[in-house]
Amino acid sequence: MPLTLDEVLAQNDPTQVEQLSKEELHRMFWRFKGQQKSSDRDKAFWQSTNENLKVAYERLDEQERELARAYGIIQEDLSVAHNVQRALLPRVLGEMADEIEVGVYHKQLTEVGGDYYDFFRLPNSRFAIGVFDISGHGVSSALITAFLKAQFMQVMEHFDSPQGIVEWVNRTSFDFLREVRKYATVNLVTFDPDGIRYVSGGGYGYLMHGEQTFQFEKKNHFLGLRLKPYREFSLPFASGDLLALYTDGMVEAQNKQGIDYSVRRLNDVIARHRNEPCEDIVARCVEDYTAFRAQDTDDITLIVVRRR
Amino acid sequence: MTAQEQSTMLVHGSLMVGYAQACKNLNIVAGRAAHTFIDKLEINNWYPLEQWRELERLVLRSYARVEPILVRVGVEMMLGWYHYGPGRALVKNGASFLHFQTGSQGFTSVVQGAPEVIGTFDMDFYDRRRGRAVIHSTTPFNRWMERGVLIGGLSAPGDLDYVDVLQGDDPDLLHCEFH
Repeated sequence: MPLTLDEVLAQNDPTQVEQLSKEELHRMFWRFKGQQKSSDRDKAFWQSTNENLKVAYERLDEQERELARAYGIIQEDLSVAHNVQRALLPRVLGEMADEIEVGVYHKQLTEVGGDYYDFFRLPNSRFAIGVFDISGHGVSSALITAFLKAQFMQVMEHFDSPQGIVEWVNRTSFDFLREVRKYATVNLVTFDPDGIRYVSGGGYGYLMHGEQTFQFEKKNHFLGLRLKPYREFSLPFASGDLLALYTDGMVEAQNKQGIDYSVRRLNDVIARHRNEPCEDIVARCVEDYTAFRAQDTDDITLIVVRRR
Repeated sequence: MTAQEQSTMLVHGSLMVGYAQACKNLNIVAGRAAHTFIDKLEINNWYPLEQWRELERLVLRSYARVEPILVRVGVEMMLGWYHYGPGRALVKNGASFLHFQTGSQGFTSVVQGAPEVIGTFDMDFYDRRRGRAVIHSTTPFNRWMERGVLIGGLSAPGDLDYVDVLQGDDPDLLHCEFH
C-alpha cells in the first residue's frame, strides 16, 4: 500500500519516500519547487527591505550629522549670546563702592536667561540697584533683559525716585511686553544718605537695620502687566545695615521631597552671617542652597549690600 | 490617465484597508503621517483613486527596489482577506480564486467608475489540469501588487503545492502556474 506524502513527512523517515505513489512523488516535486519559489520571493522581499534599511541608516547618519552641525551653530550662537549678556551686567560704580559693599551671585539656568540686575547712576549723584526677572527662560527672556536695560538707562537721567523710574519704564514698555507676551518682576532701590526708597513688584527684598528686619512690600504689579501707578516705600539704611535683593530662583527651588528652599530659610542664612563680608554672605547662601535643592529650576540672582 | 479620469474612479475601503493593514503587518511604512493616513481609512467608504495612489506612494517612495515589496503586500492582503475576512467563505480552493477574482465579486466589486477608467481583470486562459492560467489586467493598479494578489489568493486556501505568477513581454498579462 503506497504512502501519501503527508504520511511520509509525518513519520520523519526519508527511506519511506520509496513507498510514495507516482502521484505523490509529483506532489513532492511541486511542493519542493513551490517552497523554492516562496523562498525566492521571501529572499527578494528581505533583500529589498535590507537595502531600504541600509538607505535609511545612511539617511539617518546624514541627518545626525546635519543635526550636529546645526546644534554646533546654535551652541556657538548661545555662547556668544552668553558673553554678550555677561557683558551687559554692571560693575559696581565708583561712588557706590565708597558708600556700600556689594556681593553678587548671578546664575542663568541656561546659557542665557531672564534674570537681570543693574547698578544705575541717578541725576542727584545718587545711585540705584535694580533686580528684574523676566517671565520664562532662555533666549526670548534674555532679549527682554537687553530691552529693559536700554529702557532703564534712558530714564535714569530724568528721574531720581524709584516710583517715577518704574512707572516710566512700565508705560513705555507696556505695549511691547504685551505684544511679545512677556512681563517682568521689578525691584528697584535708590540709595539716599540715610535710607533707601524702593518699588517692588514681585521681587524680594530683606533689610536688616540694627536689630530690626524688614521684608519688602511687593504688592506692586509686574512690568508689562498693568498700566497702574506704582507705590514707593522707604526704609532706614544706616551704616552697618544689610540689604538683600533676590529673584525667586533660589527660594522656589525644591529639595527631593518637594519642599521649597523658601524665603525664610534664605533670610535666616543671611541673618546668621550678617557680620561677614557681603561676598562671604552670598557664598554662604549659595552653599546652603546648593546643599538643599535637588536641582536648579530657574535663573538665580542674589545681591547683598551693606552700608559702610 | 488624466487626473480628471482618475478622479472618476472610486476604490472601496475594504481594498484600501486591506492594503494598509498588509503594510502595517509587514512593517513597511514608517512615519507618523503614514500611520495617521492609514488609521483614518474606513472599510465601508469609497475613496477616490488619488487616495489609493497616496496609499501606494507610502510604499513606493520608501524603497529603491519596490517590486518584491509590492508582491509581498499583495500576498499579505489576500492572506488577510482569506483568513480574517470573507475569503474562506467565498473561495473553496486555490484554483477557484482565479474565477472568483476575475468574476463579478472580485476586482469589479471593489472599484467603481467608467469601464475605460477602471479597466478589466479578465481570465484569458485557464487549464486546471496543466495548472496554467493567464490573467489580462488593464486596471490602474500596480501589476507587481496584482501578482502578489494572485499568488496570495491561490495560496491562501492551502491546497496547492506550487504557486507562481509571472509577467511576460506584455506586462499586462499575468501568467499563473499552480499545482
